[in-house]
Amino acid sequence: MTDATLAMPARADSLFRRNLRDFRRNRLAMASVLVVLTFVVMAVAAPLIAPQDPNATDLFRRLQPPAWVQGGDWAFPLGCDGLGRDILSRIVYGARISIFIGVAVILLATGVGILAGLAAGYFRGWVDVVIGRVVDILLGFPYLIFAIGLMAMMGPGLMNIVLALAYKEWVIPCRVVRGETLAVRELEYVEAARALGAGPRHIMWREILPNILSPVIVVSTIRMANVIILEASLSFLGLGVQPPTASWGSMVSDGRAFILEAWWVSTFPGLAILLLVLAINVASQGLRDAFDPRFSE
Amino acid sequence: MSLGKLLERLIQLVPVLLGVSLIVFVMLALTPGDPVQIMVGEQAITPEQEAELRHNLGLDRPMVERFFLFVANAVRFDFGQSFYHGRPVAEVIAERLPATIELSLVALIVALATAIPLGVLAAIRKNSIFDRMATVGSLLGVSLPGFWFGILLIMLFAVHLQILPVSGRIGYASEVPAITGFLLIDTLLAGDIGAFGEALRYLVLPAITLGLPMTAILMRVTRTSMLEVMRQDYITFAEAKGLPRRRVLYRHALKNALIPTVSVAAIETGSLLGGNMIVETVFGWPGLGRLVVESIFLRNFPLVQAAVLLYAVTYVLLNFIADILYTVLNPRVKL
Amino acid sequence: MKALPRLLMATALAATPTLFPAAVAAEDLIVGFTLDADTLDPANHRKRETETIIRNMYDGLLTRDANMLVVPEIAESMTQVSATEYDFKLRPGIKFHDGSEMTAEDVKFTLDRVVLDNGMGEGVTSPRQGLMGPIASVEVTAPDTVRITLKEPWPILPAMLPNQQIVSKAWVEAMGNEGVATAENGTGPFKLVEWRKGDAVILERFDDYYGGAADIPPVGPACVDRVVFKIIPESASRVAALLAGEVHIINELPAFSIAQVEANEGTQVMTVNGTRSFFIAMNMEGEYFDDVKVRQAAAMAIDKNLIIDKILGGNAAPIDGILSPAAFGASELPSVGYNPEQAKALLAEAGFPDGIDVTMDTEGAFKDTAEAIASMLTNAGIRTTVAVGEGAQLSDKWRTKGAPKSGDMYFTSWGNGSLDPFDIFTPTHRTNDRGNSAGYANPALDALLDAAAVELDVDKRRAMYRDAEMMINADQPYVYLWVPKDIYGVSRRVTGWQPSADSRINLHDACLN
Repeated sequence: MTDATLAMPARADSLFRRNLRDFRRNRLAMASVLVVLTFVVMAVAAPLIAPQDPNATDLFRRLQPPAWVQGGDWAFPLGCDGLGRDILSRIVYGARISIFIGVAVILLATGVGILAGLAAGYFRGWVDVVIGRVVDILLGFPYLIFAIGLMAMMGPGLMNIVLALAYKEWVIPCRVVRGETLAVRELEYVEAARALGAGPRHIMWREILPNILSPVIVVSTIRMANVIILEASLSFLGLGVQPPTASWGSMVSDGRAFILEAWWVSTFPGLAILLLVLAINVASQGLRDAFDPRFSE
Repeated sequence: MSLGKLLERLIQLVPVLLGVSLIVFVMLALTPGDPVQIMVGEQAITPEQEAELRHNLGLDRPMVERFFLFVANAVRFDFGQSFYHGRPVAEVIAERLPATIELSLVALIVALATAIPLGVLAAIRKNSIFDRMATVGSLLGVSLPGFWFGILLIMLFAVHLQILPVSGRIGYASEVPAITGFLLIDTLLAGDIGAFGEALRYLVLPAITLGLPMTAILMRVTRTSMLEVMRQDYITFAEAKGLPRRRVLYRHALKNALIPTVSVAAIETGSLLGGNMIVETVFGWPGLGRLVVESIFLRNFPLVQAAVLLYAVTYVLLNFIADILYTVLNPRVKL
Repeated sequence: MKALPRLLMATALAATPTLFPAAVAAEDLIVGFTLDADTLDPANHRKRETETIIRNMYDGLLTRDANMLVVPEIAESMTQVSATEYDFKLRPGIKFHDGSEMTAEDVKFTLDRVVLDNGMGEGVTSPRQGLMGPIASVEVTAPDTVRITLKEPWPILPAMLPNQQIVSKAWVEAMGNEGVATAENGTGPFKLVEWRKGDAVILERFDDYYGGAADIPPVGPACVDRVVFKIIPESASRVAALLAGEVHIINELPAFSIAQVEANEGTQVMTVNGTRSFFIAMNMEGEYFDDVKVRQAAAMAIDKNLIIDKILGGNAAPIDGILSPAAFGASELPSVGYNPEQAKALLAEAGFPDGIDVTMDTEGAFKDTAEAIASMLTNAGIRTTVAVGEGAQLSDKWRTKGAPKSGDMYFTSWGNGSLDPFDIFTPTHRTNDRGNSAGYANPALDALLDAAAVELDVDKRRAMYRDAEMMINADQPYVYLWVPKDIYGVSRRVTGWQPSADSRINLHDACLN
């Protein structure tokens, strides 16, 4: 019995390493990780990178085209928006907001989802029923409409955006965790730990959680990509971040009105979203291939 | 599926719908912004007139009473009057629903029609260039913000090339009888091929924009399950028996591989129905999503409540359909 | 492998127009319009857009020409009998779309339906009651004459009457309120063919039309066979539809699209003076703006002309009081001018040598302009953060009707469709009135506004509003900004149509070549 409990972490560990090795071998996935990291560095070092003050308006530069187009200026490489602000600098700073929203929503949602999912899957019975009902009810709401309603209720603000998205987002990791927990709780080593007198808290955190983390991570990264797009959609509906800060979503949606006259205002932030979300998606695909062989070949 | 299971499912619907109604109600109650004040806007109004208006809208009753009244009426499919339209909410929603359903279904069909062949090919030619490109392509599909992509499509096809219309559902030259509310069906019933083609042309861009993320998801699902099925013993066995590979793939493997695709498609259709207000706004599509968002901003409480209930029922039903499809297509699964 | 499906797709796309030739809509005049009508009931709507659509099917006793002059329409003439009595003689031979003759009874019924409590029956009072002021009664005094009696003098009755459209008594009683909401039976130049909700309102010419206001030529049936209000909420899509030739007139053309529409062959831009005044409310109950020096500093910090020039494309008139230059009683007022240095000095004088930190609330639609203003204020020491809120939340916060308010500044606007000071000056400046978001309280001004509202002598009334404007110009409860023009994109094929200052799109005279 003791052998079994001792053996488990070692097994998990070597599996993890092998998975990681698989992942590293996936060149496309590694490239994507590099792209994501680049964006993160850009966000962190924004003041060092941005050529201009992102919020400095200059109406005389309103809708100035990118540098390589006639009328452009290399001091403002990607051109200026409707208030004459440098688009490149706003994208660099906007990375902070977009990445923050993606990470914050997913951390919050995954945290809550793990707690609820573990409880539902481990205790089953009425705990499972109650959590299951709440999940069902929340799933009955269309995602965006729920978020719009919450934003109308809570008012604008960065933290409120995070909350509005997280209120429903936690349901997804919760379902994954519950399902995995149900499967894992009957496995030998968990039985063994229980027989050894380990309490539910110990079993859930020490025995079950580490073994179900892979699918949770995979799902979370995919969802993070999705959350960034959802934030952009909220911006499109006029419920985005507060000025003068820009998220990429709000830049695209503010710039869309100019699309016929000044394509650059919405196109560059749109490409930034596309690139980051694509990189996250490719990376998480790689993760899934490496860590969750059930879903891949 | 047994009758008992079916009944159980229907009973499960009750707490979900009650919970959804309660949450909507509480959310609307906690939302700042007085419907009466929004309605009156800049107009002059005496306190008596305001009280009268509040009374007419039923907003002078206590919250709890309003909630029970709403539930009691909703059971009889009476959702009250829309604050702005001077007509029953159910009627207003019913007018907008066909457009939304038609767009969603066409998007679904487009998605299935592209996703299944691409997914199967990707699986058969696993790790080929085609497979890689299809993978990246599908990830690209889920990475595009819909409103941005939609506007780019308008720019290209409607403004520059001028081969597709910018906005709307159909032109105005042809009169389409309102039989089902689905223009593609109504135009055919009327025998008006020209109008049918026109309706189709208006559908192309919004359906692509709406269906693209779904195509991407379904392609991945098809590819994965196809690969899984191809590894199964009976396929290997069939091949060993000397059956032609093509026949094995399409007769045996594909049928089983499509099960997950179809059930995921059913569930995803729910999110299509609830997530298309963006596409509807960009393409001026006269659907329900746009109306619901406008109603939230205008605090048109009865309409928002009824629409959200409708979404919840649809969601539950689609999941139910997904389950049934799963059983029908795969007799081994017993629910 | 990948090329093939794409090729097929491209072929299919290219082939659709030839496979299914779209029927040619030769004479449909199509308006790309921002919002659908909520209802077609002339007594039961609340939005300007709804009225614009209804107005092409229903005529009123009076109407306005493109220059906002009130002229008789269904009425042949209007006579003011006394300070509180007006007689309207009706034109003979006016027909409703169902063929029935319009009578004085119909006019009385229409006005009663709007004015009386429970006037619409079924326990419903018209939401448009407030637009009709102190009407005591409406009586038929002769087969072709209707008399409106007021409880007290209300000189703007003629200016407000174009907002009411005449319905048929028999028809409304037969249809009920819900029936009237989706069908129509007016006396206007067009009748309803089909209302595709959320998508389009399709109208066709009413051949028995009496011709419309005699003072607005041409008189006679409408020029085009059919008109369509096509709903396109997204402004980029609306402009795209105009450029692609799908629609012939669009409203709310963004100022930055003007150059594109002008450059495009076959389209042009038309503008008309608007009636909506933009201003910034400064919370006079708050810690900074109770001091007139701080308010003046804010006014001096903003370069209105630069914003008008750069953001509004020159399509706005600056104001130094609440009234639009085109409004009754408007006059030349002293301007503080743009002077950031003096603004800083004033701030210091007021006890804020290091400047102040404030928040400016606004709705999403005005984010750009508000941000431009905020950076100008910031340059002058009023460090301003813009907070974008939802309209419903902001009116709760700022239009408190006297209840205490929070917040520093509010970038907002107030409409003045009648161009009479009564429905803009009083609500925004009278103590605790519904639009007084600055929390301004000046008993002398209150008395003046109350007196001006009922003054019948036109010259005296004009002078009273001039005095009122001078008072608020000195007190500066708001930073008065500008009145933007309404901008339309119009196909060059359209003739005979011009935009109207009240934002209505009357298509009676429009032709399509």
